[in-house]
Amino acid sequence: MRLLICNGSPRGKGSNTALLLKHFTDGFSACGGNSVEVAYLMRTKEHAAIAEKARGAQAVIIAFPLYADSMPGIVKEFIEALGGSQPKSRSKKQKEFPPLGFIVQSGFPEAVHSRSVERYLEKLAKRLNARYIGTVIKGGVEGIQSRPAYLNRRLFMAFRSLGRHFGVTKEFHPITMKKLAGMEKFSAISRFFFRLLAPTGLFDGGWDKILKQNGAYGRRFDRPYQP
Amino acid sequence: MNIVILNGNPDPKQKDLDRYIKSLGADLTSRGHTFQSFQLRDLDIRQCIGCWSCWIKTPGLCAQRDDMPQIYKAVMAADLVIFSSPVIMGFMSALLKRANERFIPLIHPYIALVEGECHHRGRYDRYPAIGILLHRGSDTDDEDIAIITDIYRRVAVNFRTTLRCAFTTDRPTSEVSHAIADL
Repeated sequence: MRLLICNGSPRGKGSNTALLLKHFTDGFSACGGNSVEVAYLMRTKEHAAIAEKARGAQAVIIAFPLYADSMPGIVKEFIEALGGSQPKSRSKKQKEFPPLGFIVQSGFPEAVHSRSVERYLEKLAKRLNARYIGTVIKGGVEGIQSRPAYLNRRLFMAFRSLGRHFGVTKEFHPITMKKLAGMEKFSAISRFFFRLLAPTGLFDGGWDKILKQNGAYGRRFDRPYQP
Repeated sequence: MNIVILNGNPDPKQKDLDRYIKSLGADLTSRGHTFQSFQLRDLDIRQCIGCWSCWIKTPGLCAQRDDMPQIYKAVMAADLVIFSSPVIMGFMSALLKRANERFIPLIHPYIALVEGECHHRGRYDRYPAIGILLHRGSDTDDEDIAIITDIYRRVAVNFRTTLRCAFTTDRPTSEVSHAIADL
């Protein structure tokens, strides 16, 4: 299978998206006969060429971090390139698009944040006349590059297994997807503990550490645009 | 009411939305509202690169040097901010989306529970209400409008405010400006 992966992170090669994709492609490439190319959507000038490549692939995966509750602007720009950009120029009959899947990762721990854009992505596949493979949702990803390796072991294993299964079936394994999505929303108990512990500053500790390193802690509540 | 419209129409040759916003602005002004629109395609608005300088290095200030500061100022002084765009491939234009995600300097990195979900804490005491104004493309259906509205309901929660109105340009400007005046 010739797979094209579009990395839609504005952080590009150093992104969390790239790190998760690395494990996905490791699993994918372990199966004989598979080849994968990764395109970086932050290179917006290459969008037309990437769109052309996408049409020639046997499967396409678009992966991105959740930005303001949907896809980053560069990903939307690429989607416009896929569709021939303007709504009124769509009179030409569209060729069939290869099967299309998505990976959405976000900093928020719950999956619910990514469900609305998932609905958009499913519709997008239909709009492109592509078979919709599905959308893998993974929350709680921010910070994975600065935490101890053992905390990421299961996460990376899951992405390798996702890639391996995809390499054989061209599908996302439903159980792995469910495992990665984790909790939809906090349970009542988690909410209770969050409210109980929030005033202690426990959940702000990570931010405070970086703010202090940057000498910006005292300015953390600055309001430069206060009218 | 102080109303700010971000016009995300990327194509100067497609004049429908631009004309609509101009006429809506005239209606709102005649009703005594303050109205300001930003033609995003004429401004230098860069992609958020996720560097987080605005949260961890220069709190509240974006590291990019472009035209966003004038929008930040107008937005924080507004009562209502309307995100407006032609519907392209079932969503807001990339241009509008790019400006939209540059709003993160206006909120705080700390997390709070809002409606039982994790969201960012506010940086400012008050935020303008949010609205959307969409101009249908030839392939736009009601499901597209519902999906965009649903996503912008979430955008509003993350911006520590609420989505107060969702219009399409199918409705006459007089009706829309009337509805806005009633908010």
